[in-house]
Amino acid sequence: MSERVHSSPPVGSYVTVWALLILLLALTLGSSFIALHGLNFAVNLAIACAKAALVAVFFMRLRRSDALTRLAAAAAVLWILILVSLGLADVLTRV
Amino acid sequence: MSVPHRSSVGEFGMWVFLASEMLFFSVLFFGYLVTRLHHPLGFASASRHTDVVIGSVNTAVLLTSSLMMALAGRSAAAGARRSAAGLLAATAGFGLIFLALKGLEYAHDAQHQLVPWRDFSLAFEPDAGGTRLFFWLYFIMTGAHALHLLIGITLVLTLMVVVARARHAIRHAETVEIIGLYWHLVDVVWIFLYPLLYLVSRT
Amino acid sequence: MNAAVSPMSYLGAGYSLRSWLTTQDHKRIAILYAVSITAFFFIGGAAATLIRLELLSPHGTLVTAETYNKLFTAHGVIMVWFFLIPSIPATLGNFLVPLMIGAHDLAFPRLNLLSWYLYMFGALFTLAALIAGGVDTGWTFYTPFSTMFSSSYVVATVAGVFIVGFSSILTGLNFIVTVHRLRTPGLGYFRLPLFVWAIYATSLILVLATPVLAMTLVLLAAERLFGIGIFDPALGGDPLLFQHLFWFYSHPAVYIMILPAMGVVSEVITCFARKPIFGYHMMAYAIVAIASIGFLVWGHHMFVSGQSMYAGMTFSFLSYLVAIPSAIKVFNWTATLYKGSISFAAPMLYALGFILLFMLGGLTGLFLAALALDVHLTDTYFVVAHFHYIMVGGAVMAYFAGIHFWWPKITGRMYSARWAQFAAVVIFVGFNVTFFPQYLLGIEGMPRRYHDYPSEFQVLHVFSSAGAAILALGYLLPFVYLAWSLRFGPPAGANPWNARGLEWQTPSPPPEDNFPSKPDIPTRPYDYAAGAAAAST
Repeated sequence: MSERVHSSPPVGSYVTVWALLILLLALTLGSSFIALHGLNFAVNLAIACAKAALVAVFFMRLRRSDALTRLAAAAAVLWILILVSLGLADVLTRV
Repeated sequence: MSVPHRSSVGEFGMWVFLASEMLFFSVLFFGYLVTRLHHPLGFASASRHTDVVIGSVNTAVLLTSSLMMALAGRSAAAGARRSAAGLLAATAGFGLIFLALKGLEYAHDAQHQLVPWRDFSLAFEPDAGGTRLFFWLYFIMTGAHALHLLIGITLVLTLMVVVARARHAIRHAETVEIIGLYWHLVDVVWIFLYPLLYLVSRT
Repeated sequence: MNAAVSPMSYLGAGYSLRSWLTTQDHKRIAILYAVSITAFFFIGGAAATLIRLELLSPHGTLVTAETYNKLFTAHGVIMVWFFLIPSIPATLGNFLVPLMIGAHDLAFPRLNLLSWYLYMFGALFTLAALIAGGVDTGWTFYTPFSTMFSSSYVVATVAGVFIVGFSSILTGLNFIVTVHRLRTPGLGYFRLPLFVWAIYATSLILVLATPVLAMTLVLLAAERLFGIGIFDPALGGDPLLFQHLFWFYSHPAVYIMILPAMGVVSEVITCFARKPIFGYHMMAYAIVAIASIGFLVWGHHMFVSGQSMYAGMTFSFLSYLVAIPSAIKVFNWTATLYKGSISFAAPMLYALGFILLFMLGGLTGLFLAALALDVHLTDTYFVVAHFHYIMVGGAVMAYFAGIHFWWPKITGRMYSARWAQFAAVVIFVGFNVTFFPQYLLGIEGMPRRYHDYPSEFQVLHVFSSAGAAILALGYLLPFVYLAWSLRFGPPAGANPWNARGLEWQTPSPPPEDNFPSKPDIPTRPYDYAAGAAAAST
């Protein structure tokens, strides 16, 4: 347990991550009011992914987790990608 | 710090559960995506009627709650009972603010007849089928999220009482960590819901 | 209960109903599951019996068309969700996984008990809906029929299945954490029995696929109650969206049934051939490959649904890929038998039956994965025969193999070897007489789910119904002689088959905390000395 105390990151690092998250929120909101020629969706999605990654890596401590825990998280993402990509393979190519 | 922390049985179990939860929500996201591809017009026009101010403020509220949760985990690990309990209270508090704002938003939606039930105000817009489906998905997705948040708030409040009464807060550090994981995932779900429901077509 | 139970055994830990309903012992929970799924097996079987009776004559008079639709739906729903999915994992898996890895219990014993209660609650809820009103959609609940047109109890049925889904997820979660975290020191991943690998891979599917079904059923219920329209083309929805989501779960669900079966068969074959399993590493990789590739093939259920032909070609190609690891398994079992000193005890007969029937079921699956051929065969009895060869010929045969193999461990008693061998043969014969004619019916064009048919199909239908009678007898036999053994069977001893797994190092039935002393970890799994004969019983 004492190990944990020593390895806890300082409060400042958490606040920095939070500030980054709020910044990204402002960015995604702001960019939505600018016409980006169909790229708005991509920008919004990319920013959402970045925010999710920040939460997962720092708040959920994936940065310090063992390989097994990371594998569980990665498996879920991979399986969602399977559902979406093979599902869209039909929807996008229907005649 | 570079040594990876071997997750406890409980932490790993929660991660496996969260993997399952992610697949649970993925159905809604996939359904949203497919329906939006069929109705780009309806989704664009309908999403302009969601309340972007409340949506954005709520996003910030939830992100802040996650910060509180992460800090609570840190305090509990350091054995700081009072600050851990206080931070858990703050976490639940932000969660409740989110729900209150969400409730207000639902009331507005109902007022503007955005519930695609009988008197749907967007029923005569072009691609009315799309607008109707958008708002059904809006209510189902935010509803499923709110339900999860409610469970999270209950867990965090219970945990707060336990930690506040504990002689050694450090004994509950692992539980704080585990419930924190759940809390953060509910936050991540909202991070994706936000642009899909509020920012489709604002230009 | 009986004299063979020593006071320290898990069976002697308590005799009251309360002691069973509040137990957190994985072995007792396994028994709770075994009793419940056996009940559902016979209820589902009763529905099948009525179906086969109705189909004896071309214009059957036993039940109305509407009742017939409700019968095959009840049969499917009960057999898939309340029998097959929990069958091997929740009974044998629950009992054996901790024993096989030298652990005292699963990682979360209370969660394990909760899983059983969720299962019972959901299953009884659905059963009530099926009996009170019935559902006529088929177990697939296809939209928009299930949401817009059916006037049966769809929402109640689906609600029960939704609840049982959580039981599946929590059981899978428990196994995954247990296998990773509770192995006894020194027992590396590649020293685990293949049964544990199989249960692990199954658990991955339970955890990653079941939530998709759960949320899809929520959407289905919402669509039916509020007329949302997300699956309804008339309202701008996409009916294929439902099929994609449904099969994203339900195709891997077939692997939930067959992977544990493969695990059981691997244990049995190597024990009764007295040889180490051929290609252990390949077998382990093949299990994981089947579980993973199984997620990429769901679209082969939708070839004629209006799905894009490009998606169809992709899914067809991917479906063929599953054949590779499946074939590896069959070849390796065969290679394990080669030059083995084989004895034909009852578990071995069931396991050999599995291999034959699984091969027939698997090979006919290739017909259905072929895009063009499937157009002719879709929704015919060919499909019915194909999946019954996998799910009954495969999964149920292996379940019986497992029950017969571990019965002495679970109960401490030996059953009548001759009766068991006889029953295995009766089931094998009865199964083939029931379902082989259905392949022929399908090729000739008999569609599935019809209660009425042209009279030229009658001969084959009569064969099928006659086979079903033999099969029913075959399934009743083990019920009788296994029950008999509980009271009159001779004590089995710790290791009646002279098998090698850790579970055989502890007394039969095992003590409450599984191992009186720390078990010896073998340097490699299935260390059967060549030529040593199985102990006869």
